[in-house]
Amino acid sequence: MSNSHQEPVPLDDIALELCALTKVYPLKRGLFQPPGRLKAVNDVSLRLYRGETLGLVGESGCGKSTLAKMLLGLLPPTSGNVLINGQEVDPTERKAHARHIQPIFQDPYSSLNPRKTVAEIVGLPLKLHGVGNAAQRSRQVKDILDLVGMPERTHAQYPNQLSGGQRQRVAIARALILRPDILICDEPTSALDVSVQAQILNLLLDLKAEFGLTYLFISHDLGVVEHLVDRVAVMNQGSIVELQSRAQIFSEPQHPYTRMLLASALTPDPGRGIPALAAA
Amino acid sequence: MSVLLDVKNLKVDLPTENGMLHAVRGIDFQVRRGEMLCLVGESGCGKSMTSLALMGLLPRKAQCSADHILFDGVDLHGMREKQLMQLRGKRMAMIFQEPMTSLNPSYTLGNQLCEAMLQQPGVSRAEARERALYLLHRTGIGNAEDRLRQYPHQLSGGLRQRVMIAMSLMCHPDLIIADEPTTALDVTIQAQILRMIRELQQEFGTAVIFITHDLGVVSRIADRVAVMYAGQVVETTDVAQLFAQPRHPYTQGLLNCIPVRGKTLPGSHLQAIPGVVPSLVGQVSGCAFRNRCAKADSGCERDPQMVQQGSATAAHEARCLKLDAATDAVDAMEVAA
Repeated sequence: MSNSHQEPVPLDDIALELCALTKVYPLKRGLFQPPGRLKAVNDVSLRLYRGETLGLVGESGCGKSTLAKMLLGLLPPTSGNVLINGQEVDPTERKAHARHIQPIFQDPYSSLNPRKTVAEIVGLPLKLHGVGNAAQRSRQVKDILDLVGMPERTHAQYPNQLSGGQRQRVAIARALILRPDILICDEPTSALDVSVQAQILNLLLDLKAEFGLTYLFISHDLGVVEHLVDRVAVMNQGSIVELQSRAQIFSEPQHPYTRMLLASALTPDPGRGIPALAAA
Repeated sequence: MSVLLDVKNLKVDLPTENGMLHAVRGIDFQVRRGEMLCLVGESGCGKSMTSLALMGLLPRKAQCSADHILFDGVDLHGMREKQLMQLRGKRMAMIFQEPMTSLNPSYTLGNQLCEAMLQQPGVSRAEARERALYLLHRTGIGNAEDRLRQYPHQLSGGLRQRVMIAMSLMCHPDLIIADEPTTALDVTIQAQILRMIRELQQEFGTAVIFITHDLGVVSRIADRVAVMYAGQVVETTDVAQLFAQPRHPYTQGLLNCIPVRGKTLPGSHLQAIPGVVPSLVGQVSGCAFRNRCAKADSGCERDPQMVQQGSATAAHEARCLKLDAATDAVDAMEVAA
């Protein structure tokens, strides 16, 4: 069992800070009308302390993924900035960014290049960053793949020969090979079957304990969120509406939207029936 | 309650490049009038193929065989397409998973809603429209009059799924097959739609086969549950019994590996089921779960049969050769707890 939840997270060591991050998309309307503005992410400020897991929950379209993309440097924010280890990142320095922060995406079927072998996929970040020579790199690749539980015979296989759970393990190995501080997990288990989901969640817990990682865990599955995270941020329509510790958010939710989310989560509880919600 | 649908030894085989894929390997189940039967299983376990076989909508190259598929006393297996058309929509209806793709983008909702009902002799346009308006209202869609003139792209996913549900109810069917109807939706919308399906089902006395992979949904909506694994039904019982005393090791594993508030300690290791689902291409023999099962031994290479327990009214069946050991383990766990 990991002890990550027993040890208090030091509150002065900030791994990642978002300052008033905003992303506005222009909306095309008519030819002669001024373009509209869609605020996908609206003035979001968040701090991730080193070694903690912060859950980000919300429904589709609330801006979770836009936020994740800005953190990864894949999307320039309209305003506001992202500080990694207290330093602002130059948007042109993608590589420096990638050393500290890495993603695990939702769909392991589309996030791996189908024309490359597992070892090539996992080794590519090392190659791009010019780490070591070929022999050192291949040893590192082998080590990390062992660590995520990929047997040696799979290293030369292509993604289409792997199951969904194995693909997600490869994606995790690729994210970890540069030894980043922070992992952005964007719904890492929602495309997987229930029986495989538990394997991947256990792996994420083990890796966190081993490498002292900081996770931003984006999910709509409140059961999984409650199991993994230390604090929860609830997002609705581009804004964080509530940010609380795990215990508090699940026992005393403050914001009406959080309450509605919690009420609509269907835990396996025969006899409880389906909750009545106010129609949206 | 009388039996509405009785499926016996249904098999579906799909030819693939690597050999025959045995998607459904001889399943039996019954649906009683007015009940909600949940078919639950992981992807690839054959639950969608089962539903398509019942509706006669399998891909053309698929090979389907069965001892019988009795729907209200009539055998659907081997029925001609024309006769099936008489049943589909009228007495059996289907709600598909993807509300985004299952409505025709080039017809108005009114057209699509009324289409099946207008096929029946003696139904006037006004009657069909009346029924459509009533059902749109009942499925929680505001300004139904305007909606009838709209096209699917003007609606959100949740609204489209409501329209699909209204459409399935148009001809007072006896049976609705709902194939993961809420998987593509947000949790708050999911709760609303599930509640509505359950209420309408109970009010109209419609039997529903509800296909899902989400045990949380199953626990809240089902009357009875059939758990599927690798193309077979491995356990059937009523919902309370399944969650209180699962008998098959696969069901026990599934229930143990989901984190539940108040029961699983946050941050602790979950009891994952090791390994992956076996491939169903080529010859499959013995218990399909034995490569992932803690209780399996060499005896599990025999094909397990359904073993019945409980009374005739509350039967509890499981397909496992190690059932005594399995129940003992559950008892031991309860003692320990």
